[in-house]
This record gives sequence, structure tokens and C-alpha cells, in this order.
Amino acid sequence: MREIVVPGEAVADRPVRMHNTCICNDKTYATIVGLFDKEHNEIIPLEGGWLPHIEDVVVGIVKSSRNSVYEVDLSYFKRSILIASKFERHPLKVGDIIEASIKDIEDRKTIILYRERALHGGTMIEVKASKVPRIIGKNSTMVNQISELTGASITVGRNGIIWMRGGDVGLATEAILKIEDEAHVAGLTERIRVMLKNRTKNGE
Amino acid sequence: MASLANKPDLIVNGKRVDGRDFDELRPIKIEAGVLKNADGSAYLEWGNNKILAGVYGPKEVFPRHMADPSKAIIKCRYTMAPFSSLADHGRTGPNRRSIEISKVTKEVFENVVILSEFPNSEIDIFIEVLQGDGGTRAAGITAASVALANAGIYMKDLVYAVSAGRIEDKIVLDFNMIEDNYSEADMPIAVAPRNNDILLLQMDGGLSKEQLKEAVGMVLEAGKKISVLQKAALNDNYKKATEQYGQKQ
Repeated sequence: MREIVVPGEAVADRPVRMHNTCICNDKTYATIVGLFDKEHNEIIPLEGGWLPHIEDVVVGIVKSSRNSVYEVDLSYFKRSILIASKFERHPLKVGDIIEASIKDIEDRKTIILYRERALHGGTMIEVKASKVPRIIGKNSTMVNQISELTGASITVGRNGIIWMRGGDVGLATEAILKIEDEAHVAGLTERIRVMLKNRTKNGE
Repeated sequence: MASLANKPDLIVNGKRVDGRDFDELRPIKIEAGVLKNADGSAYLEWGNNKILAGVYGPKEVFPRHMADPSKAIIKCRYTMAPFSSLADHGRTGPNRRSIEISKVTKEVFENVVILSEFPNSEIDIFIEVLQGDGGTRAAGITAASVALANAGIYMKDLVYAVSAGRIEDKIVLDFNMIEDNYSEADMPIAVAPRNNDILLLQMDGGLSKEQLKEAVGMVLEAGKKISVLQKAALNDNYKKATEQYGQKQ
């Protein structure tokens, strides 16, 4: 059973190490608006921006390039750079969309990216970063299901930028925005599947 | 304006000018997430007060030299709209009073926001009084607290604030503008409800030790109601989809 908690609400009568909580007077309190899962002892944030972590997959646009160092716009306030590999065959250009992972966060200031992959063409949309885990789903079930039923290839960045190409991008966007709205309600994967099935049938 | 010569009767037949009891709050309505462009926002109606609070951040610190590599900094801006009250607030922008309120509000939130989670960044709080009728700094803090939670900023607690004070020898809760102007003492208090930590205590006028204790007790009692409303406001954002889903099944 999941319930919505707000900052300052007690989630346990004893100190428990949990994300998005603080311990005070030997009790554990939520520090964020989120869904508290009693069985797994975790709080899933419903609000809030993205806090970069190492190995996060992100989507961004190349903002500038100089001496094989690319600056990438992740729609986040910290500077993020990508150092080109020695063996780079197709240099990136300003305006290219890329998918990359975070290698390091230097001095808590600069995000260093690696394992980049250029994404050609397509559409980008931006969603709340707190809803990204739900859009991806457990073992990527949700995103796989959307791309399967709409035929679009989808890349979801932890920073809240989603890139899509091919298939029915409009329907995929609609599904993603629906997930963003209803992220806190259980049984979402099933409802999205029904919605997509109905819509694709009508289209044919 | 507020002079003893034209002082109205603030207590008539054991009731206050607007018919409330001594420990009665004005009606409060809070709504969270009203501004799409802001990261978090809240709209508060507290009697005749109408207040809009918006929160932006964490974002890049400006000017850069103010950045702290170990924690976030908070900036707060309280303003009264030129049309907000009968008194002269003719010019927009900061004045002596709003600069003071901005400062004390900022210090309230520095105590509850977990600043170390957002190093090298800045959190902006904007409080805009659209209509003012006494106790706007308390109402502003209450609204900003909901807006911060709505923005998903880590906080130890949801702060509320109320004013209490003294009319002649009676301790009275939540002043409106008339009471504020003619009362003997006015004291806004901001509280973090978990341990009842007092984060703001300003006083205009004078109270004895016993009267202060009574006033604080009254505020803590009333605060329970405000906390409930704050939590409900944050929960309401998710209600619509939950109910829709419930009907389908």
C-alpha cells in the first residue's frame, strides 16, 4: 500500500536509513512530497528536479565545441561537458542531439559525460524529472511497451528530456504526458497498454 | 492612521470586530501548484489576505561569487502589490518594510530547507501579496512553505506562521488590519510543527511573561489546523487522477 507523504510527516517510529528522509529524535520523517512504500521502506518523489548521479543516462544538445571538448545543454543549471574520444570518427556538430552517461561530477560543479551516442532527427519533449522513473518503468517495461505499440524509438534521459523518432510520435507523446499526470496511481502500465491498443486499432 | 483619538472598540460583547472568538482563525484556503512556469507555487487566501508564492530552483547562483560549494543559498522577495491594501503601497519594488520581511522569511526557511542537498545553487522564493489585510508576513511564510514542498525541495518540516497579540488585557489570535493597527501588542510567530521550534518571533508592543506564554500556546494550538490545511493542499494535486482511476475500476 502506498500513501502520499509531505515534508515533516513521520514515516517510521525508529531511525531508518532511507532516501528522501531525515532522522530526528530517533524517528524518521519525510523531507519531500512523495509516495511512501511501507513494504519496501522507500519514498518515491512526486515533485522535484533532477539531481545528477554518476551513471545517469541523459539526453542533451551540443551547445559548443572547442578542441574536442563539447559543451552539452542538459536543461540543467550546471555546466556539462563531453570530452571527445581519441578515436572519434564522426565529430559532433553544434545542435546535434546526443544521449550520454555521466562519468563524473567535478567539484560539484561540472558534469562530465561519456559513452555518447548521436541521435539523428526525431522530436524532443521535456517532462518533470521526478516522473522519469515511472516513464521508464520497472526493468524498462513502460518505455518498451510504448515503443512497441507506437513503433517509435524512444530514449529517456534522467534529466527529463525524452527523444523520439519514427512510428506514431504523437501517440507516444500523449502516452508519456498521461504517465506524467498519473504517475502516483497504481496499475499505470496496464492502463497505458489499453489506451495505446485502442488508439492504434482506431487508426488502422 | 492608527491613533488613540479614533480608536474603535475592538472587543464588543466578548467578540472581536469581525465576530470571531479570541482564539479563532480567519478562514484559510490553500492551493498548491497554481503557476505552471514556476518549479513550485501556492495560492493562499487567509481571510481577506490573498497571497501568491512561487519557488524557483535549485538553479545557478547569481552573482556567481555568492555561490557556496557546501550548500545552497536562499533568496526571498516579499512584495505587496500596489493595489493590495488601503494604505499607501503606491510604488512597486522593495521598500523598508518589505526588505525586512524578506530577510526574516529567508531566515525562517534557512532553518528548515536541507541546504546541503543542493551545493552551489540558489533557491528563489517569491511572495506576492495581492490583497493584504493584516498578518501578511505570517500568511506569506505559510504559503511559501507549501510552494517549497510543491517544488520538491528537501525540507525538514512544513512551516506555518500565525500572529497573536494583545487587545487591552486579552490575548487574541490572528489579527486583521484594524486589530493590527489599534492593538496593544502584535506578535507574528513562525513554527516548525514537529518539535514546535519557533523560527520567527517578532513583537510590536509589549507583553508580560504570562501573556507571552498564553499567546504562544494559542498559536501552537491553532497551528495544528493550519498544518492540516497545508498537507491537504499538497495532496489535492494528486486527487484528481486517483479519483478518475477509482471510477474506472
